[in-house]
Amino acid sequence: MARAVHPPRKAPPLWKNEGVRWLVFAVVALVLWELGARLYNSPFLLPAPSRILEEFLKTPALVLTHAWITTQEIVLGFLLGALVAHLAALLLIVLPEWLEDFTFRAVSTLNSIPFVALASLVVVWLGVNGIGSKVAIAALYAFFALVYFVHKGMVSTDATKEELLTSYSASFVQRVRYLKLPFALPIIFTSLKGAAMAAVNGAIVGELFGAFQGLGFMILDSRYVGNTARVFLAAVFCTLVGWILLGVLTALERRFVGWHLEMTRRG
Amino acid sequence: MTQSQPNPHPTPSAASLVSVKDVSMVFPTGTVALQNASLEVAAGEFISLIGPSGCGKTTLLRLLADLIRPTSGSIRIGGKTPEEARKSRAYGYVFQAPTLMEWRTVLQNVMLPLEVMGVPKAEHKPRAERMLALVGLEKFARHYPWQLSGGMQQRVSIARALAFDPQLLFMDEPFGALDEITRENLNLELLRLWRETGKTVIFVTHSIPEAVFLSTRIVVMTPRPGKIETVIPVDLPQPRSFETRETTRFFEIATQVREALRKGHGFEVQE
Repeated sequence: MARAVHPPRKAPPLWKNEGVRWLVFAVVALVLWELGARLYNSPFLLPAPSRILEEFLKTPALVLTHAWITTQEIVLGFLLGALVAHLAALLLIVLPEWLEDFTFRAVSTLNSIPFVALASLVVVWLGVNGIGSKVAIAALYAFFALVYFVHKGMVSTDATKEELLTSYSASFVQRVRYLKLPFALPIIFTSLKGAAMAAVNGAIVGELFGAFQGLGFMILDSRYVGNTARVFLAAVFCTLVGWILLGVLTALERRFVGWHLEMTRRG
Repeated sequence: MTQSQPNPHPTPSAASLVSVKDVSMVFPTGTVALQNASLEVAAGEFISLIGPSGCGKTTLLRLLADLIRPTSGSIRIGGKTPEEARKSRAYGYVFQAPTLMEWRTVLQNVMLPLEVMGVPKAEHKPRAERMLALVGLEKFARHYPWQLSGGMQQRVSIARALAFDPQLLFMDEPFGALDEITRENLNLELLRLWRETGKTVIFVTHSIPEAVFLSTRIVVMTPRPGKIETVIPVDLPQPRSFETRETTRFFEIATQVREALRKGHGFEVQE
């Protein structure tokens, strides 16, 4: 019983490692890119960051409008996809076994259809105008990136913990609240990060298939006129949105599954 | 006593807290885990179920706790079926593994049954703190379970089982995974808890000294098929201490248990 006991430690603040590390990475990457592009000296194929910034400063308001529209699509799509994935995972758990099996097959079948085909259909169904169809496609991407992991996480609880709750005569909702969800949370957060990236992809793919605004539209439009720097500019904004989403999710992860980060750090 | 004689399982008064009558458990695989087990337990007793692997001791405990249902026979706990007893939160269950929630602090783990059972919120913390003090872990309330040693984790799980003040405590080899020294310390602590709280304990073990030291009666079980071989009363005086283990009477009772196990071909027991 005399094993060393660690006092509860607080996770270091976000900026102390993640934020600073990203900043250092960004600066180093930009400098390397700038140098590489200048050495390569072919602005059409590989524009330097300075050239891309120049492109942004030509029409900053327009680019920001495009970026804002895509950001909305990504965030709304991500939230919608995540919500539906959790509900679907819960539904799979409560369904009788034969229905669970059938539903699982349905989800897997949909998942095996190329997303691009699904995306083009969604645009047909929900229309080119507005952000609705793009939100739906981003949600679709996020959903499939999540649903298996949420489900797997919640059914992977160990049998003794389930029996403990049986001995308390816990209801299904209590089982989810006190065991299944907290148990699955570490894997859910990892998957949420993947789902956020998937939502970025989904929104852009949606815009490529049918949109008159947004970063995906900007990519398509700039490519037609051979403005490579502007294509890069759109990609950079996609990355920025992705980074912000990752940052938010990482902060939430620390807040809600800090115990897991701490526990695995010891091992 | 020869094998053909019926088991002289002592029967406490009519008001027994736990009553097991002719209970059998056959698993779908055809394994007879328990055959015609009968047992009466009075309130306040400390009963050990001892025997080698496959003798049905854990099966019997799980049947009492309504974690599984018997193939035949009847079980009553305070006059209720095991299901009713479970729903009225009549027992706390301590598993072989501490089974603590890694995402909850020690204090929050002890609070878990109170939250699930809808105990008024204001009572959660003071009650959990009192239970932690009872097992001597009040200083570790804010730790996470994985920051504690195995013995400490098991003490947390005992505190958790006591938190909602059940009448009965079911313990399934709770100290089986611990080293001998820790185990003897926790044995002593468990006896103190038993005296202070007045709970009725049913305790599964495969250690003869542990069973003799802790129990008021020892239920000796033997395998293939799992059955109750005999029940041995332990008349060692209370309160017991480390010295109790060195008395002649202690060894006599241990020998009795050992012989009963041998008689039932159950002698694969670890000591």
